[in-house]
Amino acid sequence: MRYLTSHTTRYLYQEPVSQCLSEARLIPRSMPGQRVLASRIHVEPEPAVIDNRKDYFGNDVSSFAIFRNHDRFITTATGVVEVEASLLSSPALAWERVRDLVAAHASDESLAAYEFVFDSPYAAAARELADFARSTFTPGRPYAEAARELSHRIHDEFTYLPTSSSINMPLLEVFHNRCGVCQDFAHIMIGALRSLCLPARYVSGYLRSGAQYQGAEASHAWVSVFVPETGWLSFDPTNDVVPSDGHVTLAWGRDYGDVTPVKGIALGGGHQTVEVEVRVVPAERPSGCFGAQ
Amino acid sequence: MKDATTASLKSRTGLWRYVPEPGHWDEVLTPAGFPRRHWRALLVALGRMGPEQLSRRWRAGQQLIQANGITYNVYGDPQGKERPWKLDLIPLVIDAAEWERLERAIIQRATLLNAMLADLYGPQNLIHQRHLPAATLFANPHFLRPCCGIVPAGGVHLHLYAADLARSPSGQWWAIADRTQAPSGIGYALENRLVSAQTLPSVFNQCRVRQLQPFFEAARAALLALAPNLRANPRAVLLTPGPHNETYFEHSFLARQWGFPLVEGADLTVRDNRVFLKTLAGLEPVDLVLRRMDDSFCDPLELRGDSLLGVPGLVQALRSGNVAVANALGSGILETALQMAFLPGLCRQLLGEDLRMPSVATWWCGDEEPRRYVLEHLEELVIKPTFPRYGQNAEFPATMSEAARRELAHRIEARPEQFVAQEQVDLSTAPVRADQVIAARHIVLRVFAVWNGSSYMVLPGGLTRVSQEDRSLVVSMQLGGGSKDTWVLSAAETDTPAVRRTAETAVTTPRSSAELPSRVADNLFWLGRYAERVESGVRLVRALLPGLSGEADFGRSATLETVLHLLGGLNYLPPEFSAGSIASQRWNLQRLLGTMVFDPTRTSGIGWNLNQIRRVSWPLKERLSQDTWRVLQQLEMDFSSTPPASTEQRFVAAMSLLDRAIVTLSAFAGLLMENTTRGYGWRFLEVGRRLERALQMTELLRVGAVQAPFEIEPYLETLLQIADSSITYRTRYLTALRIEFVLALLLADESNPRSVAFQFATLLDHAGNLQQRDPSASDSIEHATMARMLAEIRNADMDDLATRDAEGDLGALEDLLKQMRTGLFDISDALTARYFSHLTPSRLTSF
Repeated sequence: MRYLTSHTTRYLYQEPVSQCLSEARLIPRSMPGQRVLASRIHVEPEPAVIDNRKDYFGNDVSSFAIFRNHDRFITTATGVVEVEASLLSSPALAWERVRDLVAAHASDESLAAYEFVFDSPYAAAARELADFARSTFTPGRPYAEAARELSHRIHDEFTYLPTSSSINMPLLEVFHNRCGVCQDFAHIMIGALRSLCLPARYVSGYLRSGAQYQGAEASHAWVSVFVPETGWLSFDPTNDVVPSDGHVTLAWGRDYGDVTPVKGIALGGGHQTVEVEVRVVPAERPSGCFGAQ
Repeated sequence: MKDATTASLKSRTGLWRYVPEPGHWDEVLTPAGFPRRHWRALLVALGRMGPEQLSRRWRAGQQLIQANGITYNVYGDPQGKERPWKLDLIPLVIDAAEWERLERAIIQRATLLNAMLADLYGPQNLIHQRHLPAATLFANPHFLRPCCGIVPAGGVHLHLYAADLARSPSGQWWAIADRTQAPSGIGYALENRLVSAQTLPSVFNQCRVRQLQPFFEAARAALLALAPNLRANPRAVLLTPGPHNETYFEHSFLARQWGFPLVEGADLTVRDNRVFLKTLAGLEPVDLVLRRMDDSFCDPLELRGDSLLGVPGLVQALRSGNVAVANALGSGILETALQMAFLPGLCRQLLGEDLRMPSVATWWCGDEEPRRYVLEHLEELVIKPTFPRYGQNAEFPATMSEAARRELAHRIEARPEQFVAQEQVDLSTAPVRADQVIAARHIVLRVFAVWNGSSYMVLPGGLTRVSQEDRSLVVSMQLGGGSKDTWVLSAAETDTPAVRRTAETAVTTPRSSAELPSRVADNLFWLGRYAERVESGVRLVRALLPGLSGEADFGRSATLETVLHLLGGLNYLPPEFSAGSIASQRWNLQRLLGTMVFDPTRTSGIGWNLNQIRRVSWPLKERLSQDTWRVLQQLEMDFSSTPPASTEQRFVAAMSLLDRAIVTLSAFAGLLMENTTRGYGWRFLEVGRRLERALQMTELLRVGAVQAPFEIEPYLETLLQIADSSITYRTRYLTALRIEFVLALLLADESNPRSVAFQFATLLDHAGNLQQRDPSASDSIEHATMARMLAEIRNADMDDLATRDAEGDLGALEDLLKQMRTGLFDISDALTARYFSHLTPSRLTSF
C-alpha cells in the first residue's frame, strides 16, 4: 500500500518567542516491509540551523534552531511511504524461553532486544503490572500469542479517553484509572511485559486516515515485542489489531521520551496552543483528495 | 627518640590519652601503642602546644572558616541554610612512600574507568565480548544514549576523578567509592589546607607537607588545554546548578581559584551549535564547560526534560565538536558500586595489568552465583541499590529483624540486578578533637586526580572525612560528619614547601567587566536596591523610635503625631491605627516598629528586605569580596537575633540594633566606594542604589512635606534627621526650619549625597559610562529620562516649590515629585528591558 503522509504540528504563542530549539522525529523509518519513497520537513519560521542525524535507536532526527521573534512554530512533514501487509506469524516459542534466551543474548539481535527489557522513564516494571500480565502469561504459553491477548485485554479493560491523561501522569496512576490514550496503552503493555523481564519497545507512527480506529488523524503509538529467530512483532493495544499495511512506522525506542515526534524549548511565549494534524491517504486516489476532508 | 616522644605525649599534657578502637587500624598508633614514625613531628608539636593552646588554635580556625564563609548546604534543612564547614585541626598524615603507592593506584584506576567510559559510549566491546554484563549498562539510568558516539574533550571522558579510600585493619587501602560525574571536595580540600596552614603554621612547615597550590595551577592549565579549536585565550566557565546545591560554596571557591566565571544554565545559550555566555556586552563564545551539574540535567532538550537547569542544545554543540565539557556527559554511569565487582578482570582486559588497589568486596546480584552467595551471607553484608536514587540508602541486614531480612531477600530475588552487596568495611581510626578530649573516629579519605593531557596527576593531599559519632562507620558530610586536612609528607629533605594564600579577589565586579553575565548584573542591580531599602528602613525607624518614648524632646525629634503621619503616609499603618487613646496608639506604634525591625515575614520590613538581599546576593557570592560578604552576614546575624520579650526591652534593643546597623551599612557603602573597581558590575549595583534612594527620598518629601499638616516644622526636622542632614542644615542656614531651605538641601543640592538631584546626577554619570561600552544604548530612554529629571530639578525655584497655592497646598512640589516618581519607574523599566529581558524563563514542550 502506498501512502501520502502529512503531519503538521502548530504551536501558536500568545506572546512572541525570541528563540526556540526543537527536535523532530518525523521521517518514517525504512525497514523490512516499509519503504520510504520521499520525505521532507518544512518548518516555519525558517530555522537558522538545521541538523539531521540518526539517534541511538537508528531513527532519523532533525533539529532546528530559530533565533528571531516568532509567534508561531509550524512543522509540516510530508512523505510517500510504501507499506506491505504483514504475514500473520505466531511463533510458538514460550514466553519463559524468550525471557531466558534474551537474557542470555547469544546473538547480536537478542543483545539489541535485551536493552528493551529494562525500565525506561515512562515504562518501568511494577508489581501491579506483573500481576496484571500474569493471568495471560500462563506457563509455557507462546510469547506472541500471550502478547496478542495482553494487547486485547488492554483494549477491553481500558477506556480510550483523549483528555483523561497527560504524558506526565505516572504510569501506575493511568493503570489504576483504567483510561488514557494510545501512548498510555502502549506504555502499560510495555511496562507489563518488562515486569516479566520480556523485551518490548515503543513504536511511534501513523494510522491510515478514515479507518475506524482510535488515534487516526493524530500521531499514534503501538508496541513491538521480540521473539528470537522470528524478530519483532507489533501489537496495537489501542485498536486491538496486529499492525499491517494500515500502520506507518516513524520511529522506535524504549518509550515515548525516546521518540517524541516534535519537542522544543522556547524562550518566552506566554500561553500557547498546540494543534496537530495527521493525514495518511492512499497514493492511488486522485490527488484532489489529499489534504481535503 | 621513640620513648622520648611517647613520654612527652603521655606525661606532659595528658592531651594524648588517646585510645584507638580495637579491631581497627589506627592511623597514629601502632598496635603496641607507639606513634608511627611519620606522625612524630606533628605529635611532638601538638604535645608542646598543650590542650589550651590547641583549643585556642581550634577557635581561630573556626573563625577563619566563618570569615571565609566556608559552608556546606544540607538538603532537607527546613531553613534551607548552609552550615559552617566542619574542620578538625589535627590533620591526617601520610608518609611519602605510602603516598607514592596510593598515587600509582589512583592513576591506574582513573585510566581504567576512562577506558571503560570510552568503550561503553563507543563500540561497547566490553558488552559484546561479555567482559561486563549487558544489564549493567542497559539498566543503568545514568546511561545517556544521546551521548553515544560523541568524541569527548581531548578524547577523554574522565577529566576529573575522585575516589573514596578506606584502610582495613590489615593496613591495606581499599577503594570504596568512585566519583566520575562531577566530583566534589577538591575545593574543600584546598580550603582545609589554607585554614590548617594558617592555624598551625610552624608545625606545618616543620613537617614538610607537600603543597596543593601547584596542583591547582597545573589542573587549571590542563583543563584549559581541553578547549577545542585551540583559541589563543580559551574561555572556560564553571557550570553550577545554583546556590541551593550542597557544595555551592565549593563551586564559587573553585571558580574564583581558577578564574572561570561561575554560571548557571540560564547564563549560557547555544547558537549555531556553539555555546555562548550571555554578557552585557553581548554573546561571548565559551570553549570549556567545567560542570558541577549532574549530566542528565545538562541539556533539557536531549536529556532530562523535567528540569530546565541546563543548557538547551548543549549535546548538539558537543556533537559538532565546538565545545568541551568536563567531565564528559554520561560519565555518571560509573558512580555505582556495581562495576567494582568487575574491575579486576576489566583492568587485565583493558590495561593488561593487575588492579593495584582492591575495591571493597562487591557482589552484583544480577549474576546467579554471586546472588546465591549474597543470600546465604546476608547478615555479613551491606546491601545497596545497584543504581541508587535520591533517598535510597544502604541496608544493613545484620541489624534487621528476621522478618525484614526475609523481605529484603524477596526483593533481591524479584529484581536481582537492582542490588549489589558489599562487605562491611572496618574503617581505620584517627584522633579527633571532640569536647575537649582527643577521641578516635573513623575516617574515609577522598583523593582527586586530573587528566593532564597524557595521564592523570593526583592531588598530593585530599579530603579526609570523619564519622560523627564514636563508633559510627557512616562517614557523610550530609549526616553531620566533619573533615580533616590531609598532610602528605615530601620525600626529599630539600623540598621545604610553604603555603601562600593566593591573592584574594577583593572585588564586587567580575574579573573582566565586559564578560559580566546579564543575570549577575540583574542580581547586582537588585542587591543595590534592597540594600538601599534596608538603609532607608533603618533610618526611618531610628528617627521615629524616640518619638514614642513618651519623653521626646519636642522640636528636636519626632513626636507621636509625626510618627503617625509619616508611617501612615508611607503605607506602613493599617487605616484603623489613628483611632484610640494616645497611650494605646503609642503602644501599638511601638509594637509596629518592633515588627518592622524584628519580624522578617513582614513585607517590606527591614528583615524582609534583608531576606531579599540574601536571595539576590547568594548567587553573587563568588563576586563579592569576603569583606563585603562579611558585612552582609553581620547585618543578617544582627537582625536574626531573638528580640526581648517585653515591649520596653524590645524598644531599647531595637535602638541599639539600629545604631549598629547604620554603622554596618556604612561599612557596606564604604567597601563599595573604596574597595571596588569601577566595572560594569559595580555600576549596576550603584544604579540600583541610586535609583532606590531617589525613590525613597521622593516618597519622604511627598509624605513629610507635601502631605504634612500646616505646622510643618516637626516634620521637616524628622526629614532632615532621616536624611542625616540636620547638622548641614544648621551650619548652612542658621535659621528655623523652612521648606525652601529643606528642599534646597534634600531635593536640589547636588553636593548632598542624600538629595534627589545627587542621585540623578550620579545615575546620569553611570548611564553615560554604560553607554560608552554599549553603543546600542546611546540616546537610550533611561539616559534621556535621567537628564530630563535632573534638568527639572535644576530649573525649579525652591521658593516657588515652597509656596502654597490657593488651597494652601504645595501643588508645584507635588507635581514635581510625581514627575520624579514616574521618571524613576520609567528608568527602571528601560534598564530592565535593555539589559535583562533575555532572562525570561524558557520551557519545554513536546507533541
